[in-house]
Amino acid sequence: MGTLFFEIALTLYFAGFLLSISELVRKKTDFEKIIFILCLSGFVLHTVYLAVRYIISGQAPVFSMHEATSFFAWSILSLSIFINYFYRTKILNFGIILSFLLMFISAFFSRNIPIIKPELRSPLIDLHAILALFGIALFSIAFIFSILYLIQEKSVKSKKFGGFEKILPSLEILDRMNYRLIFWGFPVYTVALLCGLIKYLHLGEIVFDPKQVCSFITWIVYLAIFYLMVKGDWRKKKAAYLTIIGFLLVIIGFFGVNLLTESFHRKLWA
Amino acid sequence: MGLIVVGLNHKTAPVEIREKLAFNTEASTREALKKLIKLESVGEVVIFSTCNRVEIYIYSEKQSEIADVIKEFLAKFHQIDITDFEKYLYAYTDRDAVMHLFRVASSLDSMIVGEPQITGQVKASYEIALSERTTSLILNHLMNRALFTAKRVRNETRIGENPVSVSYAAVDLIKKVFHELDKKSVLLIGAGEMAELAMKHLISSGIKNIFVTNRTYKKAEELAIKFHGVATLFENLKQEIVSVDIVICSTNAPYYVINKEIIKEIMSQRKYKPLFFIDISVPRNIDPACDEVENVYLYNIDDLQNVVDSNLFERGKEAEKALKIVEEETEKFFQWISSLQSVPVIVSIRTRAEQLRQEEFEKFKNRFKDLSPEVLSSIDYLTQSILNKIMHSPTIALKNNCEDKEILIFAARRLFGLDSDEE
Repeated sequence: MGTLFFEIALTLYFAGFLLSISELVRKKTDFEKIIFILCLSGFVLHTVYLAVRYIISGQAPVFSMHEATSFFAWSILSLSIFINYFYRTKILNFGIILSFLLMFISAFFSRNIPIIKPELRSPLIDLHAILALFGIALFSIAFIFSILYLIQEKSVKSKKFGGFEKILPSLEILDRMNYRLIFWGFPVYTVALLCGLIKYLHLGEIVFDPKQVCSFITWIVYLAIFYLMVKGDWRKKKAAYLTIIGFLLVIIGFFGVNLLTESFHRKLWA
Repeated sequence: MGLIVVGLNHKTAPVEIREKLAFNTEASTREALKKLIKLESVGEVVIFSTCNRVEIYIYSEKQSEIADVIKEFLAKFHQIDITDFEKYLYAYTDRDAVMHLFRVASSLDSMIVGEPQITGQVKASYEIALSERTTSLILNHLMNRALFTAKRVRNETRIGENPVSVSYAAVDLIKKVFHELDKKSVLLIGAGEMAELAMKHLISSGIKNIFVTNRTYKKAEELAIKFHGVATLFENLKQEIVSVDIVICSTNAPYYVINKEIIKEIMSQRKYKPLFFIDISVPRNIDPACDEVENVYLYNIDDLQNVVDSNLFERGKEAEKALKIVEEETEKFFQWISSLQSVPVIVSIRTRAEQLRQEEFEKFKNRFKDLSPEVLSSIDYLTQSILNKIMHSPTIALKNNCEDKEILIFAARRLFGLDSDEE
């Protein structure tokens, strides 16, 4: 089932991951090109893998834990490559680290194609899952920028240099990217939740699903971040802290709730 | 081998001497090169002259006398007594000379270690010598290796990365906070050499909106003209700070011109947009407590000096790494030199053997005149390939860089009778 594509992509990500770590440890940027090439080729193979799964199953490759985690990694990497290339902002190192880790985790889940309950099969659900994952990928990149902002801000404030902050962009860029990502991420996430909600209401079953509760809390937090950021009151450091809190909720919602609770999302497939 | 460098630099000689011996213009360098290459004892020559050093690199068969020749030449060329400058000179030969050049080119011997201009200057000097045709095999290789070494040092160490002057360090810090300096504005309060230097660096980094203020408005106007900026009234200071991004402060006031309360007010007015203060004044003009306000970045002269000092320390550590590279490259250069020495031996052995083969083949042809050309060419080919087979392993042995190579070369000369003609 195109598993080979997955394995090769994972290997390429691993190489990119190692080189990125090496750059950060040595505080150098000399592997920039090769990291970019590794990420891009890994990304292409990963895309092929996802496409093959889609063709075989006829449903978006986002429903099992393996698929969702791998699609999450794919979304983060696509955004990292995009930002790195078009905004000339050095983010790929961090993007590939996160993507590789997710990809690595996804390798441990069952790779069988999930069989969805027929009553849940609908384009709305596909859209719901894809947008939700892409939305949290946007939040994840915002999270990376926030962490980097705090590192850079701390070194400038404390007047102590010598870490890898020297290869980071300026605070202005880091803050601006954080803002942009939340600005795009929030509407995407909102639409995703709406799609889910519509389908859910359609089914007519009222259950308090842990995943739904967690997603709703996450949405409220990002609503607050979005509002405060756009209004202009909370930028810079405060925004960075908020983004980090939001991301932690995303991760709890993604892994914790799916794996630890008897979520209705878990019983999605028959 | 016969490599030598004679010269002086900022460590060995005072500026009065350096300026007298310098080759200030390209024309004078070319003239000196022309004169030097005409000297009997000079084989190849490169002159390297900057404001901090004057060095002459020479490859010569007569190494022992060359130092005196250069001294005489310098005295004559610059019309100065040998005794006036002799004691400031240094002379290195062979390995020391190579190492010296590699260190110089990599900016390890510079006044500010790691400053990048010197490599370009070495390159320019070499290009002049090249166009005057005063270099050949040895110095060409030496100069190319020097530039290569410099490149390695630059790429493999972090020697030139962090700024080591206060005003550069200030601009570097500002760039950590702001991205597009051309869209930012700066306010200069007061005047002073260092503040003006920082302004110049900022302007060359792209900043365009410049405001200048001073207690005496006339002074502000003067500086505004100098920096193509706008003079503003000192009374409006607070309002000005609300609208700019960077403030450079350098006044003689013996008290805090700006304190935390004022900053808080300003920051809330500017919606906490980041504000970068550089306080170069002594005593300080900006209350250090201002640094506690969010999105305010305040660096005073000591902070900047600390950054510079740690950069210098960093450079010192990197210089050790760089020195290892220099040693490696020096070693490589000498490997090349010694491989060079076996080449003429191999060539003469082979010519000698080929000559013998030709002679014997001619004799053979005269004796058996009725052989067909096909057979003759086959025999020609046969003898050639036997010769090549026999010559193969001695050639390899001579080319290999083993420890007792000199002995091997000596033995080969004896075994193949290369020196018999001279005896």
